[in-house]
Amino acid sequence: MATDIFGIGISGLQAARAALITAGHNIANANTPGYTRQLVDLSSATPLGTSVGFYGNGVDITSVQRQYSQFLSGEVLTASTQSSSLDSYYSKIKQLDNLVADPSAGLSPAIQDFFAAVQGVSTTPNVASSRQALLSSAEAMKSRFQVIDQRLAELRDGVNSEVSTTTQEINNMGAQIADLNQRILVARSATGGKPPNDLLDQRDQLVANLNKDIRATVVVQNDGAYNVFIGSGQPLVAGMLSYTLVPMREPLDPTKLTIGYRTSSGIVQLPESNLNGGSLGGLLAFRSQSLDPMQNALGRVAITLAETFNAQHVLGQDLNGQLGTAMFSIGAPQVNANLNNKGTAVVAATFDSTNVGGLTSSDYRLSYDGNNYNLTRLEDNTTRSFAAFPQNVDGISLALASGTASAGDSFLIRPTAAGASSLRVAITDPSKIAAAAPVRTAQGAANFGSGTISAGTVNSLDPNLQQTVGITFISATTFNVSGTGTGLPATGVTYTPGQDITFNGWTVQISGAAATGDTFSVARNGGGTGDNRNALALADLQTKKIMDGGAASYQGAYASLVSRVGTQTRKLEVTSTAQATLLEQARTAEQSYSGVNLDEEAANLIRYQQAYQASGKVLQVASTLFDTLLTLGNR
Amino acid sequence: MRISSNTIYDLNVSSMNRQQTQLLQIQQQIAANRRVLTPSDDPIASARALEITQADSINTQYGTNGKTAAGRLSLTEQMLGRVMDLVQSIRQDAVTAGNGSFTASDRASLAQDMQAKYDELLTVANTTDGEGNYVFSGFQTDLKPFSATASGVQYLGDDGQRLVQVASGRQIAVSESGADVFTRVRSGNGKFAVSAPTANTGNATYSQGTVTDATLLSGHQYQVVFAVTGGATTYDVLDVTAGTTVAAAQPYTSGASIAFDGMSLEVSGTPLAGDVVQTDPSTNQDIFKTVSDLIAALKAPVGTPVQQARLQNSLTDGLVNLDQGLNNVSAVRAGVGTRMRETDDHLSSSDDLSLQYKKVLSGLQDLDFAKAVSDLTQQQTNLQAAQKTFLQTAQLSIFQFL
Repeated sequence: MATDIFGIGISGLQAARAALITAGHNIANANTPGYTRQLVDLSSATPLGTSVGFYGNGVDITSVQRQYSQFLSGEVLTASTQSSSLDSYYSKIKQLDNLVADPSAGLSPAIQDFFAAVQGVSTTPNVASSRQALLSSAEAMKSRFQVIDQRLAELRDGVNSEVSTTTQEINNMGAQIADLNQRILVARSATGGKPPNDLLDQRDQLVANLNKDIRATVVVQNDGAYNVFIGSGQPLVAGMLSYTLVPMREPLDPTKLTIGYRTSSGIVQLPESNLNGGSLGGLLAFRSQSLDPMQNALGRVAITLAETFNAQHVLGQDLNGQLGTAMFSIGAPQVNANLNNKGTAVVAATFDSTNVGGLTSSDYRLSYDGNNYNLTRLEDNTTRSFAAFPQNVDGISLALASGTASAGDSFLIRPTAAGASSLRVAITDPSKIAAAAPVRTAQGAANFGSGTISAGTVNSLDPNLQQTVGITFISATTFNVSGTGTGLPATGVTYTPGQDITFNGWTVQISGAAATGDTFSVARNGGGTGDNRNALALADLQTKKIMDGGAASYQGAYASLVSRVGTQTRKLEVTSTAQATLLEQARTAEQSYSGVNLDEEAANLIRYQQAYQASGKVLQVASTLFDTLLTLGNR
Repeated sequence: MRISSNTIYDLNVSSMNRQQTQLLQIQQQIAANRRVLTPSDDPIASARALEITQADSINTQYGTNGKTAAGRLSLTEQMLGRVMDLVQSIRQDAVTAGNGSFTASDRASLAQDMQAKYDELLTVANTTDGEGNYVFSGFQTDLKPFSATASGVQYLGDDGQRLVQVASGRQIAVSESGADVFTRVRSGNGKFAVSAPTANTGNATYSQGTVTDATLLSGHQYQVVFAVTGGATTYDVLDVTAGTTVAAAQPYTSGASIAFDGMSLEVSGTPLAGDVVQTDPSTNQDIFKTVSDLIAALKAPVGTPVQQARLQNSLTDGLVNLDQGLNNVSAVRAGVGTRMRETDDHLSSSDDLSLQYKKVLSGLQDLDFAKAVSDLTQQQTNLQAAQKTFLQTAQLSIFQFL
């Protein structure tokens, strides 16, 4: 009997000790990330059957279990990968938001100052200081474009380096998970299938951390090993093997670092659209949905401004009486040939000066299928096919500069990406600002009729633009036009007062009653230093709706860029806050099951301390019983 | 529900974090006095604010332009006023010169006076503005527009008018071409001019002529040719251009009107046989020629009745041409005056508009201070409450009693 009581007492002591150890372990790990609380599984020992019935045989320690719920942890993983994706996106786009925030330091005051200087030239066209002011404000506007673009380039570099370090982290975690898979297998078999709780926690914590970097799905194998998949099902960990991701240059756009997957046959690029979730997913989404579009939109404003301003400027005449030259220079659209192209085709792109307003902020992918070229506008995925060059699309002209394409070749065309960075002021001499119009009109000194001629506008750069052209009325209703140029001389033209008379790239109107013999002339505007007609036309561009096919002014396009950044940031702010709340709730639910409550552990300490003391008492009683038996013999 | 000890900390920390973020936001808004700190605070308002800012800055620019335009127009107007004063004063001299009792020396001093005014007129025509630009030279502001040559004053400028943008879609002409002011002046009565050849031997004088029926005007040259037969003076009217005779052997009465083809003129005095009075369609004659012709006429000797008649006719020519010049300048000046008023209108509406823009802009991005301060206080109270309760709940632990 007494030995049984000893056995029971000892089993009770052991159980209490195990429970105390576990409570202590729980308290010690209360703040360990990924720790799940552990409980000792106890069961009463197999009873001793006798003729009078079953005697209890003490307590058995079955195992130490962690309080882990696959479902609750899965919820946390899903919420957390989404949350860290949104957080990383938000933290990046917030920088764009701040970049365009200050109304006094953004691009728009620079554009306003520039056009104010154009107005200044228009009111005082032959004053050197107003001309110099225009050049200075053009430089200032250019640098404002470039400062913003530079900041965007820095953000892009930041994304590249984060892509590279995050890939490294993902690889490390993959290797560690594979390693833990093995250690868990060994530990489990060494203990006859008992769970190595702390190793399991470590592995789950690694999976949780991995999900903060990228969305990863876990499939539990029969032997308890984790297989981890990313992207569209690429295994990162399979049992004890791990695979590696490689940061690689995007073949169509070498400025971008993207993710490759190393296989036995080489490195395969993972489509970015499949890499979502986690900070990496957020980074890639930020780059493709916010950074690139913003840089393009900024470039588009720069390009449209430069092209349209130049187009008007060359129609003017500078202070030296020369025709205007381009005020700005701007880089041609970027064309990147795929690094894997087999053919020799070199595609050249230029801006289509007849359709500057058609320019979009999208990039384009040009691919050749052996018969046709397919040009896809990436913004909305619309494709048009054509068999041969040249082609004019959305404000750009595409031509085959040399070579031939092979089937499967592709090109990335980025019309506006380098717009802001390549903007330059091409004029350094203030006198080269073409404020005047190159022609002026005059009415004959001896005209008898009351006809007057308008000052005239210049529409195009005709080679004979500045040729002297005379208009002589041969009757009150018809006139002859003399001079050099297309369609000249012309005789017997019917006179309609106020109607456009267009030759050699200019248009004038004659109104009023003309008399036979009245003469009018259009000639070079020699010495016209006080003329400001072209400056007025240039100033007019500020509010002209040129962009988006005639729907927006420069400022309007910039405002919609700012609004777009603002809306995106706002949306992310709201969704990331909402997602954080969701994550908090999932984590609370998971913690309420798996987390350590110190009060509970304190209670357990007291409980098992008392259980230990009680079992000690059982031993004491057993010992007393034994002593009683021993003293029996001494009587 | 079972609560993990970490949850108590995590939830409290994240809640205080949120409150601090909001507190900071309000504090920054107050510091910057702007409701919209970054576009994400209100994307629509920020885009709108950019456009309003541009509209405001353009409007301010138009205001500046308007002031420049007003200055230029006022200078032009002053100069035109000066021209009118001078021409009127020359006209006064011309009227005075018609006084029959004037001696040669009287006329000489009058001619001298007129010469001085002529010089001043030329100076005004070559005025420069504060920036050294010639006012009446069209586009060629660096070119002195009127230059005296042997064959009279030449206009070297052009017909260009300088424009200033004073409002959206409105460019106002702030200069007048010298041709419009000084040289494009119709001679005679505007339709035709009467003259008499110097070869006339009689002392006939003519009136400036009037148009009786504009529809009958042919634009031809006519000559009234006098003939004396047996003491009776008659005249023929010839259409020189067409080579026809309009009227033949009409009896002449001094001072009676001679009318033909929509025109009428009076000849007084005694024309001799072969004397001619001629009408030509009006041409452009610059003011300077008109005045210098008058000066030449005043300097010419007046001894005989023929010379007397010649002076009289020259004065008639001069007066009618001066009147034409005055009309012309006053029409130009009226145009300038209208544009000055329009510029003033634009200036005042630009001020109104500026106020309007400021209001809209303020509504879009400015902070409601009272509300912000009240929000700040509320947020502060909330945060303090959260902090206090956190401290209290965190202290609750059995371990304190063990």
